[in-house]
Amino acid sequence: MSELRQQAMILAVDDTPENLDVVKGLLVPEYQVRVAPNGQIGLKIARAQRPDLILLDIMMPEIDGYEVCRQLKADPDTADIPVIFLTAKGETEDQAAGFELGAADYILKPINPTLLRARVKTHIALKSSLDQLKRTGEELAKAKAKMEDELNVGQRIQLSMLPTVAPRLDDFNVFATMRAARQVGGDLYDYFFIDPKRYCVCVADVSDKGVPASLFMAVTKTLIRASTSDDHSTASIVTRINNELARDNEASMFVTIFLAIYDIHSGCLTYTNAGHNPPFIKRADGAIESVNDLHGPVAGAVEELAYKESQLQLRAGDTLLLYTDGVSEAMNSDDELFGEQRISSLLQRADVGDAESLCSELLAEVDSFAGDAEQSDDITLLALVVDKDAQVSQTEVFEIELVNQFSEIDRLNDAFNEYADRVEIDMATQLKINMVFDELINNIISYGFNDQREHKIMVRADRGTDELIIQIEDGGIPFNPFLRETPDVGASLEERDIGGLGIHLVKEVMDSVSYQRNHHLNRVMLVKNL
Amino acid sequence: MNITTSEENNHTIVSIDGKVDTNTSPDLERTLSGLIEAGQVNLLADFENLSFISSAGLRVLLATAKKTKAQSGSLKVCALNPTVKEVFDISGFSTILSVFPDRTSALGN
Repeated sequence: MSELRQQAMILAVDDTPENLDVVKGLLVPEYQVRVAPNGQIGLKIARAQRPDLILLDIMMPEIDGYEVCRQLKADPDTADIPVIFLTAKGETEDQAAGFELGAADYILKPINPTLLRARVKTHIALKSSLDQLKRTGEELAKAKAKMEDELNVGQRIQLSMLPTVAPRLDDFNVFATMRAARQVGGDLYDYFFIDPKRYCVCVADVSDKGVPASLFMAVTKTLIRASTSDDHSTASIVTRINNELARDNEASMFVTIFLAIYDIHSGCLTYTNAGHNPPFIKRADGAIESVNDLHGPVAGAVEELAYKESQLQLRAGDTLLLYTDGVSEAMNSDDELFGEQRISSLLQRADVGDAESLCSELLAEVDSFAGDAEQSDDITLLALVVDKDAQVSQTEVFEIELVNQFSEIDRLNDAFNEYADRVEIDMATQLKINMVFDELINNIISYGFNDQREHKIMVRADRGTDELIIQIEDGGIPFNPFLRETPDVGASLEERDIGGLGIHLVKEVMDSVSYQRNHHLNRVMLVKNL
Repeated sequence: MNITTSEENNHTIVSIDGKVDTNTSPDLERTLSGLIEAGQVNLLADFENLSFISSAGLRVLLATAKKTKAQSGSLKVCALNPTVKEVFDISGFSTILSVFPDRTSALGN
């Protein structure tokens, strides 16, 4: 590619000096002109100087114009330079031969000055346009690659923050899905146990798109998890989240949030709606309700707002459906909206029992409605299906405080086994829990504290109707025991390594395990179906 | 945890009463190492009265199995209760150690 020149440069190659003078006379001073008396020198100059145009004589000794042209076209450095043959060889076959070799034009001698100038001007202009096009193309390719990189990062941030394994407990089942639009949006959902009695579900939608939105989403999600650990009022939680988000929000982004805490034992759902589209409830008898209360505006906009909350009761057979406006505002090619009506109709028709299949059905319905139209916003669904009526736990809760000494493990197991006998947990399960305690408490004592001081470890257990929920809390260094790699249990004796085996056993023996870090506490929760 | 040893059919039988966990596994380790150093490398761990074993205990078994094998001996285990058997299955130890239903079959081979 030629560098940008103030003045175009033309190379003329001819073995007759008078011809070169004529060309020079006609083209200077409008253009710079270099001359070469034969093909060899011509090629050298072409490669070194990269002229914008080459005027080439055909009949030359040693190598003729055709050969020069062939070589020019064969070299990627000179292939793009337009070549015009200047020659007396005027027969059609000669002209055809020239064009076939890649010549851009053909001018017959004796040279007509007007013709020469016109053709030169045209081809110079053409070459300049081509160069410009190439440069633009390269810039576009770079920009596109950069954009795709950004999109990937954004999507990875978004996806990595969303839980994918939903628990199947006897009392209820939950499922959620988020399908991002091509341009990264900022939808999020979350579901987790706050403590053995309370389960949190939420859905949120960040304004704006792109990487900034997904980062804002990440902050929001972290705040949700952190704020729920010690607060059971959704009004208070959302108020705190709003303050944090609004405080340093230069980009003026905001997020709509629907946050609910489900009390497993009482069946009571406490919830706060911050500017989010109202969810639906389908009752066991088939009735559809819209949960309309609004407890405050979108979060992140204004500091020092006090949000409110409401409560409702969920019973066996009830379904709670949360969604973001990517669903109701999904458009088809006729610019029609999917709308809330369709959601509620589908909910009515659907045979609900399973949160996952309800979400799939709804998603399929949105897809078939949208047809070819491209998805413009993130689509998020979260369904909570209550399978059993909540029962106030008749049984006592087990609680014990340990210090970080290995001998405490025995004390824990003895106390737990006594409790387990009282609440009728069978021996085999007790032994498994003993083993799990041994592994996890051992880990905490061994790795959780960096000093020689005494520390406390809290263990709680709660026997529900069909499951046992255990919580272990310690104030040690942030440490998620479940990040250990699974050992290769198929390896031979010689290859076997002992690493990670304990945690692997815990994960396999319990039905669900989770880790949460809140403030200064590590909290591990385990569930065993009975 | 109580350990008793006896000899039968060219095997040294190690009977374990109780549980092998963080606190008790060092004792088991000491006993088994001692036996191997004394040249007794054909070991049978009898788990008839073993209530449960944690990964700390599995660690000891693995180390012992490797040591005996290196000296042309072996570590066999027998009479696992369902809980212990499950742990062995999950951890893959059922395939790397020789597991027998009872003493007789373990000694017979």
